[in-house]
Amino acid sequence: MSEKKLSKKTLKKVWWTWFFWNGCSQQAESMLGMAVAHAMAPAIEELYGDSKEETSAALKRHLTLFNTEQQVGALCPGVFCALEEQRANGLVNDETISAVKVALIGPTSAIGDSLWVATIIPILLTIAMAITRSAGDFGWLGPLLYMILYPVATAFLSNYMFRLGYKGGLESISQFMASGKLELITESVTILGLIVVGALTASFVAVPLPIQIRSGAGDNNVLVDFDVLVNNIFPQLLPLLLTMLVYFLVGKKKWSPIKVMGLILVIAAVLTALGYLFKVYS
Amino acid sequence: MGVFEAILISLFVYLGSIGSIVGNTLGWYNLGRPLVAAFVVGLIMRNVPLALELGLLLQLAYLGSVTPGGAVAWDLSYASYIGVAGALAFTSDVETAKNLVWVFAVLGGGIGVAMWNLSYALNIFLNRIAQKGAEEGDTKKMGLANVVGGQAIGFVLRFVPALVVLLTISITGDSTNLVEYIPNWLMQGLQIFGGMMAALGMGILLSFLVKRKIHFAVFMVGFVLIGYFGGMISVLGVAVIATIVAAIYYTVNSKKEGVPA
Repeated sequence: MSEKKLSKKTLKKVWWTWFFWNGCSQQAESMLGMAVAHAMAPAIEELYGDSKEETSAALKRHLTLFNTEQQVGALCPGVFCALEEQRANGLVNDETISAVKVALIGPTSAIGDSLWVATIIPILLTIAMAITRSAGDFGWLGPLLYMILYPVATAFLSNYMFRLGYKGGLESISQFMASGKLELITESVTILGLIVVGALTASFVAVPLPIQIRSGAGDNNVLVDFDVLVNNIFPQLLPLLLTMLVYFLVGKKKWSPIKVMGLILVIAAVLTALGYLFKVYS
Repeated sequence: MGVFEAILISLFVYLGSIGSIVGNTLGWYNLGRPLVAAFVVGLIMRNVPLALELGLLLQLAYLGSVTPGGAVAWDLSYASYIGVAGALAFTSDVETAKNLVWVFAVLGGGIGVAMWNLSYALNIFLNRIAQKGAEEGDTKKMGLANVVGGQAIGFVLRFVPALVVLLTISITGDSTNLVEYIPNWLMQGLQIFGGMMAALGMGILLSFLVKRKIHFAVFMVGFVLIGYFGGMISVLGVAVIATIVAAIYYTVNSKKEGVPA
């Protein structure tokens, strides 16, 4: 019996299927199970096409519960292809495949979410917003840039991760993770993100303090304007405090964003009332 | 906004949602982002500059709205498209639109979350089709369950409710001047609320980015640059400085640890 090997064409098909349809049928039962089985279908056909039992067993192996961040997580179907290929050649058993699948869920979700979804996307959007904000009549360049840059960069990343998963095997992946290079990249990108988020906070978050003390009843002569006073002491102090409060509630107290939004609504109502009370608004 | 525009925008609500036919990279993470959604609505409703103003506002508030582990706090696609289209349908005044956009964004986001939960439950039936296919050793049933079934459910739950909402907005927008009915104090309150909402996006983002105490100091670098020197430097300028700092950090540390750069 000759050694079984997945063709380039099949591997390409697996990646394309994954790239476009990785989130089509999410549900509580198996999360991305159907998407994995769908992506793996071409590989399963090629490896086990001559046996109905083997095909059925392979499909069942991949319909089980699976989850990952789907873009960086393109690594996973790559690894599955390599494993199924080895299994077809009698080098790997079913238990190993199941164990590796479960083991991949945690780290690939964590890296994908923290590096790509929570860092790269906001940073790209931030740059797009900065362009829209600064470019005047050419503000549309911001969203247009993001619309082109993000999918192209992600497609390259996803394809790279898929090939890494298939060719590199588990050993080289864990070597890469242990080398410290990933931490260094993440830390560098985090520094970039933090500085820009700081700039955005100072630039866009607005919290007024509509309290003024006037020289007399019915008098329009303002003696102390607390809004001006606070900003003279430390520019944008209130926006900073509000942002830190949101960070504290979401990050430490695990409030849901909806709950925080409700709190902001309440604070906004109080500030509006204060403004009318001190006759700043009319 | 006419019927044709409403249909087109509803189509984008669907395309920008999680798991649409174009995939999450082109859909949820791209067409579903507020800045992009606002641009699309602006093109459809032929008022790109105003739409972008609203897009900036929503994008800041929802910048931290990502989906770790698939938990959707709100449906960004629904909130952005309905929010911007709703505001544009009622006014062409920048300040009024900036206040109105929140009303429609919250409305859209609420419907979106309900639809997402519904699709999450309904998709379980698809798993039966897929399981049956696996039992029979039929690889074709995987695509049938994942894409055909998933899209049928997704399309109905996104496109139809969005169209109903947008058509209602369109009819109301043509016949009444909603803005006249909104009292001054409510407009004032919405404006303050809108300015504060950007803190939501920034605060959530910080909860992802901050891993050590020193990270607060790094955040303050960007904050102080704009706070004290905002007249001289733009956010884009700070982004350039941040990129240089990150590049230096990477190079210095990769040499130190002996990791090839």
